[in-house]
Amino acid sequence: MADSVGFDDLAIMLRAAAAKVVSEHETLSRLDSATGDGDHGTTMRRAMMVGLRAMDACTSRDLAALLNDVGWAILGVDGGATGPLLGTFFIGMSEAAGGRQMLDASALAEVFEGAVAAVRRQTKAQVGDKTMIDALVPAVEALRAAAKAGEGPRAALAKAAEAAARGAASTKDLRAKFGRARNLGDRSIGSPDPGATSVSLLFRGFADAIAAR
Amino acid sequence: MAMKKFINKPEDLVGELLEGYALAYADKIRLAGNRLVVRARRKAKGKVGVVTLGGSGHEPALSGFVGKGMLDISVPGEIFAAPGPPRCLEALKRAERGAGVLFIVLNHAGDVMAANLTMEMALKQGLNVKQILTHEDIAGGPRSQPENRRGLVGAVPVMKVAGAAAEAGYSLDACLAVAERLERQMATLAVAMTSATHPSTGQAIFTLPDDEMEIGMGQHGEAGTGRMKMKSADETAEAMLGQLLADLSVQAGEQLLVLLNGAGATTLMELFIVFRRMHQVCEARGIKIARARIAEFLTVQEMAGFQMFIARMDEELLKLWDAPCDTPYLVVR
Repeated sequence: MADSVGFDDLAIMLRAAAAKVVSEHETLSRLDSATGDGDHGTTMRRAMMVGLRAMDACTSRDLAALLNDVGWAILGVDGGATGPLLGTFFIGMSEAAGGRQMLDASALAEVFEGAVAAVRRQTKAQVGDKTMIDALVPAVEALRAAAKAGEGPRAALAKAAEAAARGAASTKDLRAKFGRARNLGDRSIGSPDPGATSVSLLFRGFADAIAAR
Repeated sequence: MAMKKFINKPEDLVGELLEGYALAYADKIRLAGNRLVVRARRKAKGKVGVVTLGGSGHEPALSGFVGKGMLDISVPGEIFAAPGPPRCLEALKRAERGAGVLFIVLNHAGDVMAANLTMEMALKQGLNVKQILTHEDIAGGPRSQPENRRGLVGAVPVMKVAGAAAEAGYSLDACLAVAERLERQMATLAVAMTSATHPSTGQAIFTLPDDEMEIGMGQHGEAGTGRMKMKSADETAEAMLGQLLADLSVQAGEQLLVLLNGAGATTLMELFIVFRRMHQVCEARGIKIARARIAEFLTVQEMAGFQMFIARMDEELLKLWDAPCDTPYLVVR
């Protein structure tokens, strides 16, 4: 792997992230019961399973193609905004990756920034609105900062995962501005956002997978 | 509130309901592709296709209106959840009969997201599709900010008009134009009395004190504009109709289509009583109710309440509203 993420590294990152989310899906549903339908964990598990199936079926060894297949498969997962937003996330990564097959820290940051840009086209949610954005934006900013500071992908992803976790934890005290939780107003305060928690689990999966390479 | 529904396993809900529906109405609709509800007999070549998407659980919409003269295809999602873009794209392709496809989308966050992603992909692939967004709920905000207004039962008359136009051979642009004209001339206001339960989770979708009602609540429990003590049917009718007439600036001499859409647990008895007062108010103001229908078009499970819909009609819109259609839940001869 050295200082760049290649196809096999990316595949391992994606599988590790999926495994992490699947293993925690009951926690995610419990979080969602506090302020929503209680199905976020089930939906995320479904999304990870279809993503993994898409990876198994992907015959190409092109980074962008893999990400696009995963994204498009996840887009089809029924269950509120989760499928569309997560699917868009991976499709955004795919578009930003372009034809590159080896991603150094800076290119990795660009790819994740592409994910954020794509997600932002589908939602008006900002940091502080108690959504996945609260974990995603800090994670990608931390990744970019690490890359700028000359760190490699391993360290950059580790920093991203920490920032995502902090962002997800910060949602506990926020009032929901989007989704079903919004209907609860002040009663949505006191429990972390399930979407942000899922994003932090994904980044933890990415970081752990690369740390072990 | 405890949920009492005749279901089997919650995770099989949508599959089972679609299977049962298709078996019951096999003469008019069937399931095709990835759980799309389509007409039993395809529309004639050369006519505009009409497609919609939406979460299950609002009945009999939207799949209840698939058939000749209305929808070609409905893409049902999980309960109260929008379907994914891949299935919507599949529907748009299937509905193409050589004259393009009109995609009717109700303004709810999930539906709009799915529709936007679908349209991005459809346009990339060169499909001839146009989208119309319905957003007539006046409780969402002023008419000048349509993005805040949700799409409620008004989508059903839009489907009727668009479907009739398509059947009559209108071009895609002409179908869109007439549908948009109706969309701009319609307004809905909802009132909620008791909550429904989400069939997958068994949880109440909102809470209201026993003696209160809420005008303006959205169809997934989104907060409305006013919680208040229960009013009589006449007071409720006057309050709601007053707001709707003002929103559309309805003048004496104009003609309205009126729908009273039961939310699921409200009886026809109550809706007829409400309509009686509506008619009196309109008559006193010189406004003609040209057409009326009182039924469940788009429920919210077993919620008590209703949506009051009015639309300013012209001769063309009336003709399209009166045109024949043959769907499981709306038949016009």
